[in-house]
This record gives sequence, C-alpha cells and structure tokens, in this order.
Amino acid sequence: MATDVLTARPMLRNVFLKTVRDQRRALTWWSIGLFGTVLMYGAVYPSIRENAQALNEYMDSFPEVFREAFLGESGDFTSPAGYLNTELFGFFGPLLLLLYAIGAGARAIAGEEERRTLDILLATPVSRSRAVVEKVSAMVFGVVLLCAVLWGSVAVLGPPFELTPNLVNLAAATVSLGLLALAFGSIALAIGCSTGRRSLAIGLSAGIAAATYLFDILAPSLDAIAWLQKISPFYYYGEAVPMVNGLDPFHASVLVAIAAVAFAYALFSFERRDVAA
Amino acid sequence: MADVILVEGLTKFYGKQRGIVDLDFSVAPGEVFGYLGPNGAGKTTTIRTLLDLIRPTSGRASVLGFDSKREPGEIHRRVGYLPGEFALYENLTGGEYLQHLAALRGDVDEGYVRALARRFDLDLAMRIRSLSHGNRQKVGLLQAFMHRPELLVLDEPTQGLDPLMQQEFYGLISEAREEGRTIFLSSHVMPEVERVCDRVGIIREGRLVAVEDIGDLRAKEMRNLEIHFAHPVPEAAFSSLEGVRGVDVEGDRLRCTVVGPVDGLVKAAAAFEVVDLVSHEQSLEEIFLTFYGREENHDGD
Repeated sequence: MATDVLTARPMLRNVFLKTVRDQRRALTWWSIGLFGTVLMYGAVYPSIRENAQALNEYMDSFPEVFREAFLGESGDFTSPAGYLNTELFGFFGPLLLLLYAIGAGARAIAGEEERRTLDILLATPVSRSRAVVEKVSAMVFGVVLLCAVLWGSVAVLGPPFELTPNLVNLAAATVSLGLLALAFGSIALAIGCSTGRRSLAIGLSAGIAAATYLFDILAPSLDAIAWLQKISPFYYYGEAVPMVNGLDPFHASVLVAIAAVAFAYALFSFERRDVAA
Repeated sequence: MADVILVEGLTKFYGKQRGIVDLDFSVAPGEVFGYLGPNGAGKTTTIRTLLDLIRPTSGRASVLGFDSKREPGEIHRRVGYLPGEFALYENLTGGEYLQHLAALRGDVDEGYVRALARRFDLDLAMRIRSLSHGNRQKVGLLQAFMHRPELLVLDEPTQGLDPLMQQEFYGLISEAREEGRTIFLSSHVMPEVERVCDRVGIIREGRLVAVEDIGDLRAKEMRNLEIHFAHPVPEAAFSSLEGVRGVDVEGDRLRCTVVGPVDGLVKAAAAFEVVDLVSHEQSLEEIFLTFYGREENHDGD
C-alpha cells in the first residue's frame, strides 16, 4: 500500500536540494570523467619528464608567438606545475567545468520553462528571484564539488607518477578554474532567464566561451587586436598563472564580477518578463 | 466582504497579438465562477495574469485583496492553481512531487493528500514518467487542492479525466464550495460550467461578452430536441407551445428547438407514446450565435 510515499525526503525539501538531487547522477559521471582525465594526464607524465630536455628543445624550436599561444606562460613545460598548467588547466579542465556550468546555468530557469514545469513551481510561495537563487546555489555546489574532485584527483593520483605540484598552488588554480566556470555558468543563466530558451543559452554562452578563449591566446600576437585579450575571462583565469604564483586577487575579482553582473542581470530580467505558457 | 478576484480594465497584448482586452469582472467570496470561452479566447491569459506569471499591458487584477503585480507571493500562498498546460517532474513519483510542493508551501496535511489520492484512485508510488495523461491531470489537481486554499484557480480542470473522475472532481468542487472556498474555473464546455458554477463569464476573442447567473443562462439556453414516438403525431399538438420553436414533424418524429425549460414540451409529448428523446447540447459557437448572433460582426474587433 502507498503508506510511506509521502514520508519526508530531505532532498526534496527545497528547490536547491531538489536541483542538486536531480544532478546527482550527472555529477557522479562528471566526477568520474575528471578523475579519469587526471589519471590519463598522470600516466603520460613520466614519459614527458624522461624526455624533458628533448621536449624543451623541441618547444624552443617553435616561434615565440606559437609557444605563448599554445603552451601558456608557466615556463618549464615539464615541471609538475608547468605540465598541469599547460595540459590540465590549459584545456581539458576548463572544457569539462565550463560544459557543466553552462549546462546547469541554462537549465536553471529556461530548462524548466521549456519543459513547462515552471508554472506550478512559480505558483507556490517561492518567488521568482528565490527560485533563481536556489538554482544558482545548486550550480555553485556542483562547480565546487567538481573542483574538489579535480584537486583531490591530482593530489591522490599525482605522486605515483611523480606529478607532485605545490598543493596550495594547485588549489589556487582550481579556485580560478571554478570562478571561470561560474562566470560562464552565470552568463548562460542570464541568457536563459532573459529569453526562456535553454538551447540559445547553451549555444550563445558556449560561443562566447570559444571566442574569448581564442581572444586570449591569439590576440596578444596581433597588436591591432591585442586589447581583445583583456576582455576575455580566460585572461583573468590563466594570465597570472595561479598554478605557479598562487591566486591573483585582482584577476580572481574580475571573474567574480563577471559572474555577479550576469547573475544580477538574470534576476532583473526574469523578474520583469512574462513566463512562457 | 471584499471581492476575491477583482479585475479592472485588464488588457494583455503579446506584441501586436491580442490576448485579452479591457476585462472587468469580480468574483465574490464563496462563489464558483465559470470562465467560459472557446480555445484561444484568452482564458489562460487571464488566469496567468491573476497569478503574476504574465504581466498585463494595462489594467490591474487583485486577488484576495493583493495586487497581482505587487504582492504575488501573498497570492501564491493562498491560491491553488492548476495550469491548463503543464508538465510535472518526470523523474519523481507522484508522491515525491507532491511532497516537494508541500515542502515549498509548508503547512500541508499529508493525511489529506493521501485521502485525495485514494479518492481519485491515484497511485502515488508511480513515477510520473509512466503516468497516463489522466493520472498526470490528477497529480495537477491534487497539488492545487492539497493546501486547502482559500481560492482555487483551475484552467480547464477536467481535461483528460475520464467521466468517473470528472464526477469525483465535481464532488470536490461542491465540498470546497460548502467549506466556503472560492473557485474560479475555466472551461470550453457549457454543460460542465452549468453543472458546477453559480455564475459564468463568457469570453470571446479576448473580450468579456457576458457575465450571467447560471439560472439566467439556463433560461436563455436553447436545446435541439428530437422525440421519437410509437405512432405518428399531429404537428398542431406542439406548434403553439411556449418557448418551443422550429417545430418539424415527420410522421412519428418531432424535431424542435426549446428555449429555457423543456417542461411544456415534455408534458405535451406525454400525451403520446414516447419511444426515445434526444437532446443535443448546443456547442459553444451555437450558444454565441444564440446570445450574440445579431451583434456578430466578423470583420469587427
């Protein structure tokens, strides 16, 4: 008999917990993916290290522009910090974290609206802004969780492969990555909240991410458009090389500011518009 | 006591497209108000404006004394709302879904939710993903009723319900009425509105064309009746009855249109042996033609 079908389920107590609950399977797979990625990078590292001299010479043979663009500014590519900065934090880390955050941000309101579950939710005493805040909190939770998994994976999987970065700097790089993800997640949220269209929110913010990623790596080599680099969130994510130098307060604040402005716009625009039927 | 719903000059345009135009009406406490109109007339637009899901272009609406734009939270707390078109969280069971909404509302009696589920024969342990349309509609109804709201706003509540469940729903409506709750329900079928409502607002192409007591509406209503007799009957026996029009007798068959009560016709027919009596409810369009046919103007508004 259906006697206990209504007994308290803690994860359904509010919108935040319910959103986290909805993501539990996805977050598990993202975590496994991150762990696997780190494992792969770790496994490759000993051979990089063995061939350090040859590799560095090989790198030196490239034009400086190319080196700066694709290898980053961490100096020695074969040191643990340099390797992680260039490989894990240079491409795959941001790719995975951004994919997650953009998806979560776009789904938050626009996803429910497109699926037509939003009317009933907003007809409860939960206000529109409260719904946005709780959904965003779930996205922040997801990003923090994935960052912790990333940090933990490197800390645990690194040593067997002699991949032993300074763990504090690793944390700084991870925080920077988390902030970058939150900036793009908030942009996706803002587009979703103002238009109600999930796929537009995903497509547009992924497009902005791809474009500004290219600004960051290509703009410096062309004087005419060098300023473009400064409008790229990726510049504030990686330019100060937190993996080597620790977190740069100014650069980190810029990422926080991007997220905050996008979040404020999401609240503002969603509060003012019609909810699609 | 003040009006439970008060709508003044309420207008909504979606860009240039007409939603509703200059609506004025009020719903009194304890009333069951039917909001009748064909699809696309603006019923859903009106309802979603009351709940602040959409914002009026001009005019205002207040619900339970709260302005829809300024204090939607107060309205949401006190109102049970069933949207016309909605989806539920597919990955939850019906019970989990209702529990989630109950948690967002607070102050929901679980025993009452269970009783409602039993009454509507809804299995709360089933995943919403695997529920039929009718069962989803039941979950929607339960979430609207479960906190025993002062006002129920129901957009086409019986769509997808089988006849038995419709009866159950009508029962729920009369109980809510007995408990002094106010009900605002939209429909595009006249018999339903006639059956449960005290008063009816008729909306067409975004405009309120009439607000009538259900009794007055019945008095004006027309029915197309067809009576089969065992033997041929004389036309003269029916042609001069009050409220009976268009009498057409063909041997043992009588066709006619009755305005208001059918009593006179039935008594006249009783003088003969009646085999069968068929009453055709008028469609909404026919009702509009009956009520407003002469004023109709197709290239107008």
